[in-house]
Amino acid sequence: MNREHKASDIHSEPIRPQVPWLERLASTIGLLLVLGLFGVIGWQAFNGATTPPVITVEIENVTSVQGGHRVLFRARNSADEAAAQVEIEGQLSTAGTDPEISRVVLDYIPGHSTRRGGLFFTRNPQSGALTVRATGFAEP
Amino acid sequence: MTSERYAIGLGRAFGGAIIFGLPLLMTMEMWSLGFAMGRGRLLLLVAFTLVLLVGLSYFSGFEKTFSLKEDAMDAFAAFGVGVITSAVLLVALAVVTFDMSWGDIVGRIALQSVPASIGAMLGRKQLGAEQDMKAEEERKQEAGYAGELFLMLAGALFLAFNMAPTEEMILIAFQMTPWHAVALGVLSMILLHVFVYSIGFSGQESRPEGGTFVSTFLHFTLTGYGIALLVSLYVLWSFGRTDGVSVPEIANMLVVLGFPASLGAATARLVV
Repeated sequence: MNREHKASDIHSEPIRPQVPWLERLASTIGLLLVLGLFGVIGWQAFNGATTPPVITVEIENVTSVQGGHRVLFRARNSADEAAAQVEIEGQLSTAGTDPEISRVVLDYIPGHSTRRGGLFFTRNPQSGALTVRATGFAEP
Repeated sequence: MTSERYAIGLGRAFGGAIIFGLPLLMTMEMWSLGFAMGRGRLLLLVAFTLVLLVGLSYFSGFEKTFSLKEDAMDAFAAFGVGVITSAVLLVALAVVTFDMSWGDIVGRIALQSVPASIGAMLGRKQLGAEQDMKAEEERKQEAGYAGELFLMLAGALFLAFNMAPTEEMILIAFQMTPWHAVALGVLSMILLHVFVYSIGFSGQESRPEGGTFVSTFLHFTLTGYGIALLVSLYVLWSFGRTDGVSVPEIANMLVVLGFPASLGAATARLVV
């Protein structure tokens, strides 16, 4: 310890200031944050976070509103990679007529994440068969 | 150096992180890049930032430093300030919400902490009243040509990083003809030369002794522009902008991003 002090005295400035406790604390917190970030991102990098998007859509709620019916859905990307411009299409088939189709585009669904949205229909979804699915996506 | 004085430096670091990080905190592309860019590239970018912070700490930082260990401690502290500032502001702006997946949250914060932590490091210099200008000038003198190039690199990276995430960089590159690209490249070099050697900004270089215009141009201006282009390429690659793009189109993008990057390289001495 003593020797080390002497050696550094020769090489650097004559007065070597004491490292304040706050500096130790701040740099330790910084180091922990760096390790944490590297840990999480590195884990993703090396655990093959590379499966392309798989998107499933779940209907959460159907309500009749002014001017028609509103269908709230939740789109889940269960794979690792993010999907951009995800088109969600709802198709309402009632017997004897052409199906009614409504669409919406979600900007992004990150990997292992969900995004919510809504579709509007003029006919009552309860009166027919309603399917909501993702029709496509772009790579971000 | 006491804890009280260090606390003041930390306060300035938070100020710098907010001010320098704000433009990108409110840039939409940064949010999506945070979860969408390649994890390996994000990791490399954060590591590169840490190395840059150590270098910046040597030239200017919260405090006068005496060893590599102290520079490293300052770099970690600045990075910590950057991460905390980014996390708080991203939550406040509802860009990060707690129903997101962990990978998503960490990615957004990690990417945003790159400009914020550089801002934290510069905060002391820019926001502090009392500065040890003499010590700083000495450092810059001592470091010589290599130090000069490092400062250019830091300045180029900071400014290029502020532009690169936006769609506009690619859009501009697409709509330029080759003549536009050549003109912009020449303009970048002229401005780089003029900013560094002619118009008397603070921290301006005096022309090396005995140096003619040509030798100065080759030694500093051309090298500076080269650094700006390399930094642009690195940043664009990090954000996946070059993937599957033809070489001429990449060259166009480099010239576009090289414009702010070379201005950053030229004015690095003002900021650092």
